[in-house]
Amino acid sequence: MAENEPVNVNRETGGPPEWLTLALECQPLDVRGLLAEGIDPFAAVMEAAAPIEFGGSLVIDAPFNPSPLRRILAGRGFSSYGRKLSEGHWRVFFHLDGGADWEKGADVEVMPEGAMTWREEDGIHIDVRKLTPPNPMLSIIRLIEGIEGDETVVVHHEREPHFLAPELAERGWRIARTSTEVVNVRLWLERAR
Amino acid sequence: MFPGSLMMGAKDRLLPLSVPYRFFATAVVFHIAAWLVLALAGPDLSMGFRGGQGWVLAGLHLVTLGTLAMTAMGAGIQLLPVSTRRQLGPVWACRLVYWLFAPGVALFAVGLGLPMAGLQHAGATLSIAGMAVFGGLVAGNLRKVDDLPGVTRHAWMAVASLVLLAGLGLLLVIDFTSGILPDHGAIAAAHAVLAGYGFMGMLALGFATVLIPMFILGPAVADAPIRRSALFSGLGLAAGTLGAAFALPLVAAAGIALGLVGLGLYLRAMQPCMKNRMKKRLEPFFRLVWVALVLLPLGLLVALALTLGAPADPWGTLWGFLLVFGWLLSFVTALLQRIMPFLASMHSSSLGGKPALLSHLAPKLPVDIHLACHSAALVLIGLGIVGGWAWPVRLGLYAGLAGSIAFGVFAYLVFRRYRSHMKAAAAAANQGD
Repeated sequence: MAENEPVNVNRETGGPPEWLTLALECQPLDVRGLLAEGIDPFAAVMEAAAPIEFGGSLVIDAPFNPSPLRRILAGRGFSSYGRKLSEGHWRVFFHLDGGADWEKGADVEVMPEGAMTWREEDGIHIDVRKLTPPNPMLSIIRLIEGIEGDETVVVHHEREPHFLAPELAERGWRIARTSTEVVNVRLWLERAR
Repeated sequence: MFPGSLMMGAKDRLLPLSVPYRFFATAVVFHIAAWLVLALAGPDLSMGFRGGQGWVLAGLHLVTLGTLAMTAMGAGIQLLPVSTRRQLGPVWACRLVYWLFAPGVALFAVGLGLPMAGLQHAGATLSIAGMAVFGGLVAGNLRKVDDLPGVTRHAWMAVASLVLLAGLGLLLVIDFTSGILPDHGAIAAAHAVLAGYGFMGMLALGFATVLIPMFILGPAVADAPIRRSALFSGLGLAAGTLGAAFALPLVAAAGIALGLVGLGLYLRAMQPCMKNRMKKRLEPFFRLVWVALVLLPLGLLVALALTLGAPADPWGTLWGFLLVFGWLLSFVTALLQRIMPFLASMHSSSLGGKPALLSHLAPKLPVDIHLACHSAALVLIGLGIVGGWAWPVRLGLYAGLAGSIAFGVFAYLVFRRYRSHMKAAAAAANQGD
């Protein structure tokens, strides 16, 4: 697995968990091809996760940080640790250990509503996919209300959040641009000038 | 990568603003017309109202169909597809609903007021056709939804109630001229139960589980307690309707008791959302929500007293008044005063540039006046009905009319401010070219 060791690692806060050495032995399941074809790879990932026994690992290569998947697998006892290897390439390691305190020491922070946040070069990312409405809006507003500078917030959403724009405007923020990919609508939020 | 992820065209779900707004504008006009008709009919007719054709029944239907149902339809066609993330149907079908329903309500109201059977039949046919298209659109949307049970259970009950109330409504209209019903009053009561608690009530409570958390920035309402609440409310509605239709007071009483339990469960389910909301200071629209939420159980208690033997005069009239004007009209005008600027703000960045601020679009003075007048109308008319006094009813009717005019001014100002914003945005976009 030495050739799989990421070279251009952009790791976020916190050090890697101890179980990572075990997970590095696994062959990654690359779902980028499926997503490029417009196919939701959720079933393939669940199929791969189903036979894993306690103490076993699963590695997923995805074009973005698959935060909702990490939440769902955490509910099934998987701890996870993600690394951005390059632009459009994330590798996420899953380890079946009960998932207790899985977010502690991980590379992301989990907000009260369940949204995940992490920091990248282009700003603070927040993933609100699969949250029950209006929790996505709450998480985003909670995040921007805590930002003091001119930092950009990158939102990972399942859809264009129409109801968000008026609340953002009320707080002096705006949606600067939007990109739509399969299962990942990204919004770049900035302070309105 | 996630179950049920649907990347349908999000823009397709946002209708042109003119589509929901024509429903809202018409609802505002019918709101004024309803109070005007009731004020002109005078307190004697309103206090003694036990059903039957005439201007009081016309005014009542201008509120129920013209204001309440019209608003529910306008809000439904826009908010349901955005909330459920599934398309409602083609825009032309939404426009068709309006073009069938709005003239239908106007004709029906005039037909009831004069009274003229031909106008009644034409109006009822058009209104029912509009409701049928709307019901079909909503049912089609709900069939695709499996991840928003809180809204969908209530909405399904609303659709079922719509079908039944439209059928009973048609029978009642025919009965005015043909006398086909053995007990017109009982069927009218069942029609009122289905309309007030079934179609409008379920739709209002269902939408509120999405809209209230969104407007006050509270956490999502848990599904399990809403499911329990929907079960009790549904059973209560069924028993209440049967009890009213077949004049079975004990069955109706059981229905009301179940409804009260359902309401209690509903309010308890909403409590964590209220408690943990981010907007600690509630917006002005919420004052009317409080009024509505107090008068809904009060109306149910009056209905319970009726089933246990309280005289229909004045308690029957009071029950109808609390149901239509106290609970539903308060709740609908509350949501309308929040939805109208909200939708306008959502659309205001369509030409690029900054969206219009909600706080700028929504003037406060007209809604303050509306709240004061509407509350005064509720108190004065309620007192007048109970005490059998004409003068508070007369004052209350004038207060209601003044409140509806203030609400009309609010709606006009929201639209004018939106238009000004769009003109400025268009000018800025042209300069940019």
